[in-house]
Amino acid sequence: MTHPESLPPRPARKERLWTWMLVPGTAWMSVFFVSALLLLIALSFGTTDALGNPRFGGTLDNVIGVFTPTYLRVIIRSLMYAVAASVICLVIAYPVAYAIARHGGRYKNALVALLVVPFFANYLVRMYGWQTLLSDESMLMTWLRHLGVSANFHILDTGAAVIGGLVYGYVVFMILPIYASLERMDGALIEAGRDLYGSSLRTFFTVTVPASRAGAYAGLALVFLPAMGDFISSQLLGGPDNLMVGNLIQEKFFAGQNWPLGAALTMALMVLLLICMFAYLRQTARDAKEARR
Amino acid sequence: MTTLVAAERELAAPQAPPAGRRKGSGMNRKPRFAIAVTVAFFVLLYLPIFAVVLFSFNTKKSLTVFEGWSLRWYQAFFNDAELTESLQTSLVVAAAAMVGSVVIGVLLAFGLVRARSRLGGAANVIMLIPLITPEIVTGVASLMLFKGVGLQPSLTTLMLAQTTFSISYVTVILRARVAELNPEVEQAAMDLGATRFQALRLVTLPVMWPAIMSAAILIFTIVFDDFVLAFFTSGVDPQPLSVRIYSAIRFGIQPSINAVGTLMLVGSLVLIAIALLIPRLFGRRGNSFDLFGG
Amino acid sequence: MRTPDVSRRRFLLGSAGVAALLAVPSCAYMTPKAQQAATKPVEPKIDGDLVYFNWADYVDPSVFEGFQNEYGVKVVQSNFDSMESMQAKLAAGNQYDIIFPSAQWVQKLVAANQLHTIDPSTLKNAPLIFDHYAYFADPWYDAKSGHSIPFSMYKTGIAWRKDKLGETLTGGWSDLWNETSKGRTFVLDDRDEVLGMLSLLLGYELNTAGDRELGNIVDRFRSLRPYLRGFSSDDYNNLLSGDAWMHQTWSGDMAALLWQAEDASIYGFEAPSQGTPINSDTYAIPINARHPGTALLFIDYMLRPENVEKNINYIGYPMPVHGTEGVYQELVADYPECTVTVADLARDLYFSNDSIAKTQARDAAYTEMKVGL
Repeated sequence: MTHPESLPPRPARKERLWTWMLVPGTAWMSVFFVSALLLLIALSFGTTDALGNPRFGGTLDNVIGVFTPTYLRVIIRSLMYAVAASVICLVIAYPVAYAIARHGGRYKNALVALLVVPFFANYLVRMYGWQTLLSDESMLMTWLRHLGVSANFHILDTGAAVIGGLVYGYVVFMILPIYASLERMDGALIEAGRDLYGSSLRTFFTVTVPASRAGAYAGLALVFLPAMGDFISSQLLGGPDNLMVGNLIQEKFFAGQNWPLGAALTMALMVLLLICMFAYLRQTARDAKEARR
Repeated sequence: MTTLVAAERELAAPQAPPAGRRKGSGMNRKPRFAIAVTVAFFVLLYLPIFAVVLFSFNTKKSLTVFEGWSLRWYQAFFNDAELTESLQTSLVVAAAAMVGSVVIGVLLAFGLVRARSRLGGAANVIMLIPLITPEIVTGVASLMLFKGVGLQPSLTTLMLAQTTFSISYVTVILRARVAELNPEVEQAAMDLGATRFQALRLVTLPVMWPAIMSAAILIFTIVFDDFVLAFFTSGVDPQPLSVRIYSAIRFGIQPSINAVGTLMLVGSLVLIAIALLIPRLFGRRGNSFDLFGG
Repeated sequence: MRTPDVSRRRFLLGSAGVAALLAVPSCAYMTPKAQQAATKPVEPKIDGDLVYFNWADYVDPSVFEGFQNEYGVKVVQSNFDSMESMQAKLAAGNQYDIIFPSAQWVQKLVAANQLHTIDPSTLKNAPLIFDHYAYFADPWYDAKSGHSIPFSMYKTGIAWRKDKLGETLTGGWSDLWNETSKGRTFVLDDRDEVLGMLSLLLGYELNTAGDRELGNIVDRFRSLRPYLRGFSSDDYNNLLSGDAWMHQTWSGDMAALLWQAEDASIYGFEAPSQGTPINSDTYAIPINARHPGTALLFIDYMLRPENVEKNINYIGYPMPVHGTEGVYQELVADYPECTVTVADLARDLYFSNDSIAKTQARDAAYTEMKVGL
């Protein structure tokens, strides 16, 4: 170990260097992101002029407009879809991550790579692939009809299809953090758990899950938040009753020519997400405190 | 909580059986359920990709019946000047975002790990927010910003927006690596006479290089494939590839999409392969999949 | 018979959704070029090669060859994939000799003094249009057709599966409320088209934006929802894939259906009696064209009946040129109601450029319809 005398005292100069390194990034993010968000909030109170240009203003019309049944219904539906997708992702992610992390052996890394590769094929193209696979005259549906499923049954244009699309698009974000947690976990804990409880299942729920909950929380955040704002799944796989708030926002900005209303909707989405995040952050803070005990 | 504690106590108990592999029950018993789920999952994961790749070679336009093998959709893609222009646009934007975000991200990563000022806390929060923001929100907000200062959506605005979003990813990835660095090595270099910058350049950066390259390639792929942000912040001329694919899907020019999708997949695979090989080429110890494991 | 990417034209309608953010605001940003509006009409004479700017694959290649051979000039082609894209390039200062804007865009371009004046009497073949299709002599989008010549036309109607729903329907928009097709019916994912369809059904003006009318439209749509499988602009593919047994459809896509279906006879197309919205593309010469004379000669060349017929067979759209109607009718013999007749035009069912207030009112109604309370 180094002797205290040989360690030069840390000059204040070095401290400032690291602080200076923060400046470009912080400045950039402040200019291009934070100010953009603030502008978004400001524009929610604006109006549109005769030429279609958004103007700043002080009206509450748009914000109030968001709280009409039309929009609330879509917002609540988006919430439900996102929650459903998150839960399903969780249920899928654990077995998959567990199998790879603890039983993947030599092929662990290859399996993780296999997991991630589809993610790098264009999201739209993959969704489009599902649209094709699930269309009424596809091989899958024809086969199902052979098995006796009613001719009127269709998978596309339903809420289930949209939720399925969300799961498909985001499940990787759930698997990776949980995998990371499980991989780092001390296997001896599981063994000990089995000694204590005998059954694998109980061990899983009482030892494995709590030990990997940091990964699970990260995964939930990484799935739930983007899923709330998703509009592709609904547009490609859903029907008229499966509209999500992202679709409405998109429409307001393009065909609808009503940017202030679109901004208000976006803001409502952000606020909702912040509320959910707040609950999540409180929970993780609590857990961190307990862990330190 | 208490169960965990109990398990840990059991572990520490002096009568614990000798550590080592136990045959039969316990760790090595294969969980059939989990493996079955995993297999089913991988099948479903690859099903649409398989369909896309397969039908990209279809002779007919049909997407439900596979007729025969043909390269016509690939030919159509390469003959389509507009599509190749879009491809070029996507590549340029991805490259620009990669360079910009890596440069800023490296600085930010060092700053976050080593700075002791309050700016660090603020920087951390500002950096993390985009990660939890749905892309539609970032897209809309960016659009408002550009329009607000009078910038028409164009290649430039797209590059700016993509760089912004990418900085967060890069920083999060590199921060872990920077935290692993041993500052005493730099100290040693400086004790031997190097300036701070020389120490960083000659000692720290080479060690960081594989991680930086991996992050760069990851960002390139993410930005190249990105749709939502591009949708809101790109101009019409030429549109990036992902936005064109979106139009095509909505309004029906399908078959070339499959070819495009397959090409993008192959291209991304090549890039990822490079990203994974780099750590090995540089002889870095440790798992190259640390990138994914976090 | 070729299988062209007929659906290119859908970008016109599609990109209204994808990139329409430029549509109206761009008028504010659009700096009119410093040139005066040309008061002198263009003279038909060769003044250089033709710089052509259009949708991809919109003219039979042999027509280009013929023009090049006859006049000894080259045709230099560029393509756009949306009206907004075309406008962006023009606003950026690119110089084209001939462009192909849709009716709504001609109005915008004329208002901004971006088009050369054209005197139809200088075109030998212009009478084939204007003497027989009086509508185009003085259309709503271009007074006295002083800046544009009509190119192609199409309408919105209903396409259906004859083998599932029968050989004929009642011939009105209420056909969409078909019991057998319940759960397999689609409307277009386009605000103007859906509102327009209901306006026609209820006897309102096509572009109506009155509170009472919009309220009734929303109510009537509510009764359609139980039958609806989705909103989609991918009409012919939905029909081909079997997801749709009934679809609000653009007539131009029927040619695509014809060329791609295993058995085209199982599909039918009708133009409902209450009226079908019409749209048209035009030839126009931008104000900053370097070779406007060549462009005018090209228009005249394209209007020669033999060339019109070649183009009709190439892209599957009808053109308002006397004597060529038969060619199109033959093409779509399975779907006779696709033809756009003089009578259709006379009803003046075009989607107009709306004021912001109207657009927002219509959009609010459309949102309500889409969300479906």
